[in-house]
Amino acid sequence: MKRSIVTGGGNNDKKFKAQPPPKNNYRGGGDDEEDDEFEEDDDEDEGDEFGEEEDEDDIDVENIIASDSMDIDIQDDGSQQLFLWSRKPVQDLVPHKKPLIFQQLEVDYTEIKEPVPGMPGPKVGPLPAIRLFGVTKEGNSVLCKVHGFLPYFFISCPPGFTEADCKSLKHDLNESMKMSSNQSNEKDIENIVVSIDIEKKKSIMGYNPNPLSDFIRITLILPKFVTRCREIFESGRHHFTIPGQPFRQYQTYESNILFALRFLIDKGITGCSWIELPANTYKLSETPVSTCQIEVDTSLETIISLSDDDSPAPYRILSFDIECAGRKGVFPEPEKDPVIQISNIVKNNGDAEPFIKNIFTLKGCSSIVGAHVIPHKREEDLLREWRKFVIKVDPDVIIGYNIVNFDIPYLISRARQLKIPEFALLGRIKTTISKIKSTRFSSSNLGTRESKEISMPGRTQFDLMQAIQRDHKLTSYSLNNVSAHFLKEQKEDVHFSIISDLQNGTDDDRRRLAVYCIKDAVLPMRLLDKLMILINYTEMARVTGVPLSYLLGRGEGIKVLSQLYRKAMVENFLIPTYKVTGKGEKFQGAIVIEPTPGFYDTPIATLDFTSLYPSIMMAHNLCYSTLLSAEEAKKLPPEIYTTTPFGDHFIKSDTKKGLLPRILEELLSARKKAKDELKNEKDPFKRAVLDGRQLALKISANSVYGFTGARVGKLPCLEISRSVTSFGREMLDKTKKIVEERYTIANGYKHDAVIIYGDTDSVMVKFGVKTVAEAMEMGRDAAKFVTTTFIRPINLDFEKVYYPYLLMAKKKYAGLYWTKPDIHDRMDVKGLEMVRRDTCLLVRNVVSTILKKILIEKDLKSAEEYTKSVISDLLQNRLDLSMLVITKALSKTQYKGKVIHNELARKMRARDPATAPNLGDRVPYVVIQGSKGAPIYEKAEDPLYALEHNILLDCQYYLDKQLKAPLIRIFKPIMSNPDLIFHGEHTRTIAQSTLSDNNKGFFGTLKKKKVCMNCPKELTDTESTTCINCQHKEASLYQTSLEKVTSLETKFSEAWTQCQRCSGSLHQPVLCSNRDCPIFYMRTKVQLDLIEAKKTLNRFNVEW
Amino acid sequence: MFEARLLQASLLKKILESIKDLVESANFDCSPEGISLQAMDGTHVTLINLVLRNEGFETYNCDRSLSLGLSLVSLSKILKCAGNDDTLTIRARDNESDTVTFVFESPKNDRVSDFEIKLIDIKNEQYSIRKSDYSAVIKMPSAELQRICRDLSIIGEIVTISANKEGVKFSVSGDSGSGNITIKPTSDSDVPAEQATVIESKEPVVLNFALKFLSNFTKATPLSPMVTLSMSEGIPVVVEYKIDDLGFLGFFLAPKIE
Repeated sequence: MKRSIVTGGGNNDKKFKAQPPPKNNYRGGGDDEEDDEFEEDDDEDEGDEFGEEEDEDDIDVENIIASDSMDIDIQDDGSQQLFLWSRKPVQDLVPHKKPLIFQQLEVDYTEIKEPVPGMPGPKVGPLPAIRLFGVTKEGNSVLCKVHGFLPYFFISCPPGFTEADCKSLKHDLNESMKMSSNQSNEKDIENIVVSIDIEKKKSIMGYNPNPLSDFIRITLILPKFVTRCREIFESGRHHFTIPGQPFRQYQTYESNILFALRFLIDKGITGCSWIELPANTYKLSETPVSTCQIEVDTSLETIISLSDDDSPAPYRILSFDIECAGRKGVFPEPEKDPVIQISNIVKNNGDAEPFIKNIFTLKGCSSIVGAHVIPHKREEDLLREWRKFVIKVDPDVIIGYNIVNFDIPYLISRARQLKIPEFALLGRIKTTISKIKSTRFSSSNLGTRESKEISMPGRTQFDLMQAIQRDHKLTSYSLNNVSAHFLKEQKEDVHFSIISDLQNGTDDDRRRLAVYCIKDAVLPMRLLDKLMILINYTEMARVTGVPLSYLLGRGEGIKVLSQLYRKAMVENFLIPTYKVTGKGEKFQGAIVIEPTPGFYDTPIATLDFTSLYPSIMMAHNLCYSTLLSAEEAKKLPPEIYTTTPFGDHFIKSDTKKGLLPRILEELLSARKKAKDELKNEKDPFKRAVLDGRQLALKISANSVYGFTGARVGKLPCLEISRSVTSFGREMLDKTKKIVEERYTIANGYKHDAVIIYGDTDSVMVKFGVKTVAEAMEMGRDAAKFVTTTFIRPINLDFEKVYYPYLLMAKKKYAGLYWTKPDIHDRMDVKGLEMVRRDTCLLVRNVVSTILKKILIEKDLKSAEEYTKSVISDLLQNRLDLSMLVITKALSKTQYKGKVIHNELARKMRARDPATAPNLGDRVPYVVIQGSKGAPIYEKAEDPLYALEHNILLDCQYYLDKQLKAPLIRIFKPIMSNPDLIFHGEHTRTIAQSTLSDNNKGFFGTLKKKKVCMNCPKELTDTESTTCINCQHKEASLYQTSLEKVTSLETKFSEAWTQCQRCSGSLHQPVLCSNRDCPIFYMRTKVQLDLIEAKKTLNRFNVEW
Repeated sequence: MFEARLLQASLLKKILESIKDLVESANFDCSPEGISLQAMDGTHVTLINLVLRNEGFETYNCDRSLSLGLSLVSLSKILKCAGNDDTLTIRARDNESDTVTFVFESPKNDRVSDFEIKLIDIKNEQYSIRKSDYSAVIKMPSAELQRICRDLSIIGEIVTISANKEGVKFSVSGDSGSGNITIKPTSDSDVPAEQATVIESKEPVVLNFALKFLSNFTKATPLSPMVTLSMSEGIPVVVEYKIDDLGFLGFFLAPKIE
């Protein structure tokens, strides 16, 4: 091991200065002294490690030395980089004098063999220990092991069971647990059942006016025993009887909650909150098991949650991307294809710029401005060094694009293939190997998704692709498309089939690849910032109380459940564990007031129920704990309960206020508070946090309804959800009635008000007034009046005026959105092809342009003209191909019948397996002309192929199947005969199939006839442009031809420079084949058009 | 001014029958020499080549070349209005005109109908088709080819045509089985020369074609009792129907490669 002192460099050199040689060995951030001996514990002396009297200067040097020990294989310039990687050393950690405060990001638990002395809980192991991973304000990584927390659940107490019976139950249950065990090591555990207690509780299900009753609380030694113990009580399979009781099955309570979440709930800790360990309540671990800088043991009793502190810690975010050299035609497989590059971007949360930007390459690579290139000769070294890098940098959050399903599993599998066992030690626990697990995640909202789960204790994996898929509806989730959509930036796409060629090329070729690879790591980081994903998710974690990693990996239900448990605990309610069957009758959802389609050139006021479903639940006190059965209701005086329109009964809030209404109240008032604070806050970062919070609160409040209606959820209660929707329907009808009855000429108003449309929580009212200001006035008045007829907190709010308003069908409308009387805010479009993803760009563009013309310019004539011109361009093959590309995801290998994109994928595979789409890819296609009556799947073609072979698209298909329906829908309320748009003069000029010069195929022997440029007459050998009859037109034909060439040339060079800029190089050919990029298609098409146009021009044979 | 008069309107009707399913619209290029039509289908598999020479028309008047772009669907609908023995006159004003007029007159001159069709401006290219030297030229009754195509399309989608001096074999195989039909040169001297099957073969040829297209071509059978198939390795087959005194209708079909 060589020891050298290095001087700092880069932007961090203020922090690390050259220092005198070290005296002691000191643990730096994430340092992992000897990589080969990963199983061995770090047996340094505690006192030295966090010595309080240590001179600060020495600490720095030690850190450098520690990092230096790693650069054996790395070139000399790497060492400078290496110590920039580590975290700042720990300062000022004095367990018996000062508290330890940190923000926790990850929570899990582990089993420890022996109890830690001085900690609460059983005195013999094995025991569970909760692990909180986090970061201090100074940016030091922390592992806090909390001892003394044990899993437990409840069963209802049978009559006659008393304190005295607890002991024998404990004994019997313990025996039964041991009996049912089939693992030998469990037999050694003396007490699986730790204790049996009787507690005063109440079930949350159904209204129960009685005082609290007895429940038996069963505490077990390890979380893994809970399920089996629950089985013993629930199934009756083990014929277990409680001493002195007849045999029966028992309902269990709170027996299926995740152990780590149970801990957070019991201690009142929310996700991503700050934790304080007061002075003298924690101690440094004697034998650290993690690579965290600070590792402490503490007791369950003394840990404090600082829930008020909402500042984010400077946690480290690593964004990375890998490149693999695939073989032709197959998607890279870790068993065969090497990893050739890994790019990394590391940033501290809250900083504007990353402080590490580097790339690990296989073989040499030319230098890249602004990034550190670290070349390796062997792939094994590349992987080993990268892992050292990760451990050294010690990221709290790992992000990237599709890393969970591709990059991380690939790296781990590849390392296994290359026999690098230590590679999988990517987490913070020194001995825990990261494993890949396949999971299926289904939700009604997102559909079924197969994904992988990688265990990596202490580091939160945050896959941007999953986050964006969850939160946004896009046509394609490729990084190209996502970044084009959010960052307005196209990126070069190097198809994986040419990666190998680049890798086998020169240093410069690999540099190109590296630039591309780095971009793929930069973009996720930028997306994270731009969409404020981490901030919003952190706030969501705080609001709902679940750890950050649950938000992406699990469904919506866990968030509501976490809140419900928290509230229930305070009230001594118990939540029963139900076996969910997924069955249950369907009930009618939201209601729509039938729209009266038309183009409204008068202001339309929109009245909305604010937070409709939450407010219904609050107003009518709908909750698990207020539900009455029909029989119970009969016994009660009718004035103390509500009968919902569906016929269910709930007790009113003055008798007993429900839990859900209270949760909702808190969420909504917290949201109001956050919104108020947001108004006054100036600091952009704090604003982002507040905005994220109010959003999280809103989503949470709305998801409560869904939770009660989720038939496969944890605690479904259809009585609640169907009552909510039935109230919603009733309210909408009532609003319509009131408004139409009150605002009439008979009542002294100028016009009769009409409700032209209503959906779920909003009604559109045509008051008949002429100006936006008047409509607003009346809208406010109506909202106020209608609100008084409903129970608080149901609130009808006047929100906006649409003027003009184009109502096409239910959930399909467009209008200008006014909140102020003087100027409109924006154009609002709902349910039109503009926002749908299964249409081509042309439809979206045309629809949005037409709407702009109709609504903003109020020029119907020009909208019509524009539409005709587009149709004419379409028929003459003058449109950009990118406009006509339709994409569909290839989501399964077997389709029933012949499906367009699957057939095309098959066709492409036969042509060239290297570039054909694979499972999971979105397949772009265009529809080409085929023989008459040919099914559509035969007419689908790869856009690029169609372009290169000059295959004519099926204009009629685009016209009839793509454009027609949406356009007719728009024009129908405006024009008497919208069909005219699709016929008439502008459809009379069309392009016909011709052979392109680069692909004549079998007709290669055919020669183009030289015909006159003005008429179809064939030319004689002496004539080159026109026949004698048309000679007078030659000059003007030349002009047109020249103009065409010039304009195409300009267009092409524009497209080309754009591509060069995107690929970051001005003197190399553009390799990109990004099929999501409109410029790519444009460039190719213009190129072909230009060749044709030049040929025409050349016929003039003009000599200067 | 363009005007052409054809004694039998049904002739154009028959032509249309065979091409309207291959292309949706096409240019009728009218020149002093006659009317020609070239059109390629959207998939670039077949090319239609129609030539109607001026001398075959009853009267033909064209002083300046012009293209009549027509929707074949509309045209065939209009031709349906013509009686079987009607004469047809096509009339167009000049190059700038945007309509063409079709006039049908009954043989007894007691019924005259005229239709005006709007023209479409079709951007296409024309190809000069050279007479090439084919390895095999088969002349056979057109009804025979039609029958072969009809019979074989029951079995499969791709037909293999192998020709040599002894005969021409059409073979098809499909999921349910396979079938072959072989045609031999006529040896019976009783058969008049113009109805005899003749095979001129320089060297053996084997080519595969999509039956769908061949069947479509045979819709032109009413035009002529005989059809000629000209084949060479690696280039499109030409299926040509002579139209008496007037010209011919040829179809080029690219072979299928495995």
